[in-house]
Amino acid sequence: MKTKLATHSAVLLKRKLLSDKSFEIMISSPPEFQFDPGQRVSLSLGEHTRDYSIVSAPQEAELIFCIRRVAGGKLSTLLSVADMGAPLSVYGPHGYFTFRPTSRSAVFVATGTGIAPFCSMTRSGISNFTLLHGVRLQKDLYYANQFQQNAHEYVPCLTATDPLPQKAFKGKVTAYLERHLPSGSYDFYLCGRQEMIRDATLIIDERFPDSLVYTEMFY
Amino acid sequence: MKIYTGTGDKGKTSLFSGDRVSKADARIDACGDLDELNSILGALAAHLATEEKRVAELQQIQSDLLQAGAWLATRPDSSATDSLREISTDQIHFLENAIDSYEEELPKLNAFILPGGHIIAAWAHLARTVCRRCERKAVSLITQPMKSQVAEPYQHLLVYLNRLSDYLFVLARHCNRIHGIADKPWKL
Repeated sequence: MKTKLATHSAVLLKRKLLSDKSFEIMISSPPEFQFDPGQRVSLSLGEHTRDYSIVSAPQEAELIFCIRRVAGGKLSTLLSVADMGAPLSVYGPHGYFTFRPTSRSAVFVATGTGIAPFCSMTRSGISNFTLLHGVRLQKDLYYANQFQQNAHEYVPCLTATDPLPQKAFKGKVTAYLERHLPSGSYDFYLCGRQEMIRDATLIIDERFPDSLVYTEMFY
Repeated sequence: MKIYTGTGDKGKTSLFSGDRVSKADARIDACGDLDELNSILGALAAHLATEEKRVAELQQIQSDLLQAGAWLATRPDSSATDSLREISTDQIHFLENAIDSYEEELPKLNAFILPGGHIIAAWAHLARTVCRRCERKAVSLITQPMKSQVAEPYQHLLVYLNRLSDYLFVLARHCNRIHGIADKPWKL
């Protein structure tokens, strides 16, 4: 791992809506800031700080983050209305949720904006993985095009009823793991809410012995 | 952020290298002992609260032990070792320098001593014995799979634990000395 922990300055450059609750921000990449795909930073605006995984790849000119507007979430609300040019502080990078290739197949499992680290990995050239992305509605499947091109198998898992896109699975990612992923040993990468990580890990223990499990929990 | 994840409710846990192992696995056992040692050092530091230099020393060691734990929680053949920072010779020298400086002030020993004396010294002796247990488990984990030569990061880890036991021994004697208590020699 080549990264070094430090505080950097950046500015807000662009904001793009992804869905009614999620948006993407692009910020300037601080000079000398280096990270590995899958890592996160502590992003601060004013006195509010929160950890976000980086969506962009290290070779890209700017840093991109995918943010879900949370009711009562101070930073996500601020970022959703901040002026372009707003000064941000970037502390990091943190974490060890990085891709470690082995001879086994990689299975990425994400819920909601937990897709972010897998975006960064894919944009960095990692391919040939299976990706399960759990969301409620089809419109929450941001970055679907990117994954359709690079994944060996891309399985959107939708919990709300219709419309159900082609090749999508109706149900939670954990239900897919429990009933549809062929048995065997894999390298699992889980990113999302605690409940998904707990349930997925227990299923992996049961159904996919001798697998490796890497996790990144979103709060 | 909740402290409980629930992923270990059925007796398994994850290594840093991603392996799902029993909580009774030798690596988890060794990490548990390092955690026990770290907690005893915390108790020791709490007793030494007025001695800022000693507390800073112990907190540095507590941090080093977390670093050591990451190595024991990672299978040596995993690429996850690339993410780990080695125990450096500087960290070992830090202990050696502290040992040398304590020893300069201590009377020479001509016999085994009974672990104990002042309550703080007793904590230091307890930490020393747990440290030796950590070392034994680390030796078992490290030397068995590497029958030929032990890789440098692991060699440093073993040296560090060996030196830490010595440090805790002289720290115990230092604590007795500053509280005016003579170490009690062993008599048959």
